[in-house]
Amino acid sequence: MKKYSLILTLLLSINICATAADYDNDPIRTLLPFDAIPAITKPQFVPAAEAKLDADAPVIGVTFNDESHAYSLYLLNGHEIVNDVVGGKKVATTW
Amino acid sequence: MYSRELDGKTYTFGVSGKLWRDALLMYDHQTRSLWSHITGEAIQGKLKGKKLKPLTSIPQIEWKTWMENYPNTKVLSVFVRGSMRESISRDSYERYHTSKDTGVSGTKYTDDRLPNKSLVVGVQVQVIPGADGIAGHAGADGQPGAAGQDGADGGVVELGDSQRNPKQKQHQDSGNTSSRAYPLTQFTKNAFINDSVKGVPLLIFHDKESFATAVFKRIVNNKAILFTSIDGYIAHDNTGTEWNLITGKATSGKYKGKRLERLSAVNIYWFAWARFYPETTIYKP
Repeated sequence: MKKYSLILTLLLSINICATAADYDNDPIRTLLPFDAIPAITKPQFVPAAEAKLDADAPVIGVTFNDESHAYSLYLLNGHEIVNDVVGGKKVATTW
Repeated sequence: MYSRELDGKTYTFGVSGKLWRDALLMYDHQTRSLWSHITGEAIQGKLKGKKLKPLTSIPQIEWKTWMENYPNTKVLSVFVRGSMRESISRDSYERYHTSKDTGVSGTKYTDDRLPNKSLVVGVQVQVIPGADGIAGHAGADGQPGAAGQDGADGGVVELGDSQRNPKQKQHQDSGNTSSRAYPLTQFTKNAFINDSVKGVPLLIFHDKESFATAVFKRIVNNKAILFTSIDGYIAHDNTGTEWNLITGKATSGKYKGKRLERLSAVNIYWFAWARFYPETTIYKP
């Protein structure tokens, strides 16, 4: 978990010296290696009754074909992407 | 929220560690193409120019309100600090949210129609050429919009897919897609807005209590309805129908059992929305 904290701190504190903001050419900027923030590829779920969440905790909610999934936004800060299947639909939840 | 299926293949996505326009670039494990998570478009690699099909979700809502409406929901559980958890107590990006920072690139954001860090509901409406809003407006898969379908019908997709058609090329897409930003400050006194974008009647809902955001076409049986009042997330329209704006379903009245068609929506900082969609209009009452 220290790794996540470090990565997040890095993300938040990096301040790339702005060499004449390249507003038009939109360069791709590399901040971290691939997968330094680990996307979730095999998500695990618990039923609502077993979920430990504060009442006011922010979540992303999705529902397809009578199946619903909720993802804590604070947890997603450390993963950014969940590769999931909801109601038979293969979805990428991104944050 | 995107479909991971494209042209008959299934993809999985990871975090590239790269940013474009101060926003996350995903990569797919199969071709390592780079994808914008804002537009769903591949900007580099084998799949450059391809676009993922956007799917609808509620981009943010407090847990209590989500569970009230979807009691059978499952919750993502992740191994954090020694045990499986469904949430952590802290927002790692809290400092960023409360600062004036606009990403990390040093780009100067100059669209001063709104303050850079003001939050907006960002909406995109696919406008079908030749269609005049209501009758001719087809859904994402060429199917009629979900409005008016019986929500109890087995196998019906609960939240309608977005209006953008991923098969269309980007240049066509941008020509037919209209973007509008609704500043959250517009929802302080009233949680809903009746609006129309290019003739498409929309309901924009943002509840400052639960932070829930939802955008629907306010069309039932090919007729536009007008919302007149709201209490929490229960709203009434000019036909005497009562609607739940979290689920989009009519709970009583003339249209009981009907469901409104939901559109993709995001809560996003103005500078980011304007950077990706510079042609966006801003809602004004």
